[in-house]
Amino acid sequence: MAYEFTKEDLKQIEEIKSRYPAVMPATLPVLWVAQNRFGHVNPDVQKLVAETLGLPQAHVHGVAEFYTQYYKEEKGKHVLDVCTCLSCQLCGGYDILHYLEEKLGIKKGETTQDGMFTLNEVECLGACGYAPMLQVTNDQYVNHLTKEKVDKLVDSLKNGEKPQYEKIGMPQHENI
Amino acid sequence: MSTVDWKNYEPVLIPDIKDLNKIDVYIKQGGYKAFESVLKDKNKWSGPKSVVNEVKEANIRGRGGAGFNAGLKWSFMPPVDGGPRYLACNGDESEPGTFKDRKIFEYNPHVFIEGALIAAYAMEITTIYVYIRGEYRAYIQMMEKAISDSYEKGFIGKNILGTDFSVDFYVHSGAGAYICGEETSMLESLEGKRGYPRVKPPFPAQKGLWGRPTTINNIETLAHVPAVINRGAVWFKNIGAENHPGPILYGISGHVNKPGVYELPTGVPVLDLIYDVAGGMRNGKKLKAVIPGGSSTPVLRADQLDGITMDSDSLRTVGSMLGTAGMVVMDEDTDMVDVLWRIAHFYHHESCGQCTPCREGTGWLEKILLKIKNGEGEVRDLDLLLDITTQMEGRTICALADAAAWPVRFTINRFRDEFEARCKKSVYALA
Amino acid sequence: MPEVIIDGKSYTYEGQYKLLQFIQDLGKEVPFFCYHPSMSIPANCRQCMVKVGQYIIDRESGEHQLDEKGERVIRWFPKLQTACNIDVADGMVVHTQETDELVRRAQKDNLELILINHPLDCPICDQAGECPLQIQTYKYGPEGSRFEVKKVHKPKRIQLGPRVVLDAERCINCTRCTRFTEEISKTHQLTITRRGDKNYPTTAPGLEFDDPYSLNTVDICPVGALTSADFRFKARVWEMNQTPGIDITNGKGCNIDLWTRDNLVLRITPRFNKDVNGHWMPDKGREAYRLFNENRISRPLQILDSEQILSSWNNAIATFNEQVEEANKKEILVIGSAHASVEENYSLARFSNLLGLNQPVFVPHIIEGTGDGFLITDDQAPNTNGCRLLGFTELDQKSIKKAVKKASLVILLSDHLLDRGVLSPGDLDGKFLITFATNHSDTTKRADLVIPITTAAEHAASYVNVDGRIQRTIRAKETKYTNRRLDLEMSEGRLDRYGTNFDNWVTEENKIDCVPVWSFISQAAGAQDLDLVLNEGREIMDEIASVLEPFEGVSYHLMDEQSGIRLHLDTKEKTKT
Repeated sequence: MAYEFTKEDLKQIEEIKSRYPAVMPATLPVLWVAQNRFGHVNPDVQKLVAETLGLPQAHVHGVAEFYTQYYKEEKGKHVLDVCTCLSCQLCGGYDILHYLEEKLGIKKGETTQDGMFTLNEVECLGACGYAPMLQVTNDQYVNHLTKEKVDKLVDSLKNGEKPQYEKIGMPQHENI
Repeated sequence: MSTVDWKNYEPVLIPDIKDLNKIDVYIKQGGYKAFESVLKDKNKWSGPKSVVNEVKEANIRGRGGAGFNAGLKWSFMPPVDGGPRYLACNGDESEPGTFKDRKIFEYNPHVFIEGALIAAYAMEITTIYVYIRGEYRAYIQMMEKAISDSYEKGFIGKNILGTDFSVDFYVHSGAGAYICGEETSMLESLEGKRGYPRVKPPFPAQKGLWGRPTTINNIETLAHVPAVINRGAVWFKNIGAENHPGPILYGISGHVNKPGVYELPTGVPVLDLIYDVAGGMRNGKKLKAVIPGGSSTPVLRADQLDGITMDSDSLRTVGSMLGTAGMVVMDEDTDMVDVLWRIAHFYHHESCGQCTPCREGTGWLEKILLKIKNGEGEVRDLDLLLDITTQMEGRTICALADAAAWPVRFTINRFRDEFEARCKKSVYALA
Repeated sequence: MPEVIIDGKSYTYEGQYKLLQFIQDLGKEVPFFCYHPSMSIPANCRQCMVKVGQYIIDRESGEHQLDEKGERVIRWFPKLQTACNIDVADGMVVHTQETDELVRRAQKDNLELILINHPLDCPICDQAGECPLQIQTYKYGPEGSRFEVKKVHKPKRIQLGPRVVLDAERCINCTRCTRFTEEISKTHQLTITRRGDKNYPTTAPGLEFDDPYSLNTVDICPVGALTSADFRFKARVWEMNQTPGIDITNGKGCNIDLWTRDNLVLRITPRFNKDVNGHWMPDKGREAYRLFNENRISRPLQILDSEQILSSWNNAIATFNEQVEEANKKEILVIGSAHASVEENYSLARFSNLLGLNQPVFVPHIIEGTGDGFLITDDQAPNTNGCRLLGFTELDQKSIKKAVKKASLVILLSDHLLDRGVLSPGDLDGKFLITFATNHSDTTKRADLVIPITTAAEHAASYVNVDGRIQRTIRAKETKYTNRRLDLEMSEGRLDRYGTNFDNWVTEENKIDCVPVWSFISQAAGAQDLDLVLNEGREIMDEIASVLEPFEGVSYHLMDEQSGIRLHLDTKEKTKT
């Protein structure tokens, strides 16, 4: 498959480049632009990014491989990144992970046959007070997970509903 | 030592005001006044240096974990030579147990922006980047909105508020790498590279982004600056612990009833934080252990906590550190072997792989701990683990090896019985 | 003068040094892997740990602070330092592994860590014997390993490019190879991929590591992670001997080492010369080893009844002299060669001078646009400037064709003019062609008489590079008529020393039946009763230096001492290509 940036993407890339005194710093943001467009940054997309920016392909490849959020291959439609790190571990992160493994019939790191879900175990996502939690496809956090909440989430994702941002205030405050 | 009066503390960093994230509300609450003051109030401020001095005097100790006096750090910037100078704001927030800066992004982004602008003015900086971990997509969007609002109001850009001070402000998203919270690794990541920490010297103040003078500050650190400018260094110094003053965001997680982020003075007793602030232990369980400031800070047993307060001096007396003030609380049912293995797994996963001791050592630690966790370890493995930590500590470019080594050393030392109980009898012992 | 104290000894110095380099320059040692003097310093292997301190100077008096015993007080760095990236400073006190237990322990610890995921497959690894990791481990490493869990597995036997093979498990992530493509060859073809202990160097997916300098990464790889696809499994390093030489595949004259075993050149590696090639050389120059072994002309060849047959040296000399005597002197064309050494060209010139023939001409072998401004030059020959300095007339294609047309006898030194399209077969119709040559080619196939001569691996001779630097070779490989046990300049490896003709690792076959140009010419001249005795390169160069102004003062001794001598090139001559 041939990958191409749209005109808007290219405009955005130009804007990104203008933020830095050199081209190389645009590598990370432009990989994001590409991943948002194509859903992954597989080697062909990495090549597109390198060519668009005029950077060596090896450089873009090395960067893409270093950062875990870039998908180096196609993933399921929804990627469920379950945090099991420290606080989440303490609060049942592994139970949630195993529940999802069972529910989706896959092991962590795998994608369901229908291509709907990829399940990952990830490191700390910075939501320690709201454990256990997961992140959906590099986007919304779903916090305070229970089996029921996981069921609901999976159903709504299957129905094409995107999870909403969960606002969690500060316990000492009333207004936020 | 007098106890800190935290019960009557009124939050200033994230006050209880609705919609403070909106720039109009922020301005109405007196926002951007501090920035305007340093730019324009020539009676109060004799120039950038005077701002640096005031911040230095306040002793805002870096809230990212290292605890270095922010103003002192600012004073390391070399004299202006006409070329670009950078401020890199560290919003990578990835140390397990830490989730505080996101509260600033969400509820009071402008106090951080204002702090960064004051810092930029004080160090005569030309461009500000705020590096936010890629997982915080929601907060990245919030920050982009806040920065663009601030541009619109004329607080960022060319000739700010009619003065000859100009500065640009951009968000740079990470993409999943704990190491990028290390300041020089963050610079590499900003430059579009793999996040390998840099060898120091040269220090970022001499050669930072693109070889130019650069200062790196944590988000919360910068967010404290406007209040210091408005109310003075003395006000700040009088809050909280003497040698580690000011308000601080505590992130409390684990087995407590009311986990979350709390703004209180530094120096609050650890037990008060657990039992009063965070609502006590979940399900009425007994407290077993506390990691005071993110996963790399040495764990403390419940019996070590009497009279210990959340500041570097007090925590040092029991062999720990304040770190990011991201406290993880563990109850009596917690399996310390599992916990330590999970921490080791984290550092193994996040080692950038540059330096030998960290690249190889983190994996070795995790593999031995997994063996012990699975009941296949021997007591001699515990001593091997301790030995490996000495082979890693202080031998690498950045502190990730130390951060990986400390939890292993201190958790084993402080819960040795539990670890030994998990080990099988040595084959030699059986013979 | 500033002073630094290393292991209790004081050294004064001037200028700026990194500590590791300073220690090495003193002839002392601190183990290391990632440091390379020609590249940036990442300090990532952490092997060169030393203890560093500084004498405390009293601010008021400016004097050293003293303790009760009157000893100077030292403020030590709280942590051990990597010697590679720390600047030597006045009053610095350094303890290396030689004097400090802590340093010894740290270096040992580090080696243990490097080795835990290393496959320890030295017995089947090409690098064994010249492996910094193996050597440092023997010297500074732990006796055994305490690693009892599973090693990390990574890709093995990956053909990174046409010439380089990767074994990622052996890699210790020193990043020398990636830094090489970033900083030296600037092709940016390599990167480190993955993260942490899964790190290894690779190309972008689907791309080949075809950098024209790719094999340098094999040289600088401190382990056996990168090996040469060609040399892989051909020989153990301790079986070979190493002889310094000069790259003859282009005009740069990269300094090289020829690695031989049983009189075959098995590989070529660069030899450091700061004024020519630094630590590097192009891949193409390394492939030249084949020229020394393969397709060689051994014994003279003569055309008899329109068929080229093996002849004898007596026949060859007789035919050579007959042709020269019979031909009209004006119809003899002597062609020198930029592919041959100064001594060879000079010998030919002496001979033709003595007979009153033309001063040799030559046709430079320059292909515009093939150079890269680094170590690959437009000039395809090693000695174009040598021919110029000998005063040979440079001819282009048109003029050489004209000159050949007028001639009845063409004497051609080591230049495949037909193969490189300067002459076409038709140009030589009816001419008698005598060529001195090392390897078979279309040109030698056409020649009526082919005199097999020695290559740069078989004679000591000099070449003047594009910058006017004259450098010389040393005999690396025996011919039928040389013997490394008698020739004190030749190196002798273990197998050479202990082998006899009855051992299966010694063969006569690899010795080529050829002689240096000057030997043949001396013999031919002797048969004609001409007074021309040219013994060997060293003497010929002395003679050249005494008669030709551009070579004044040049001698093998001086070339050896100074790694070559820069000659004065006439700028007018130089620009005329």
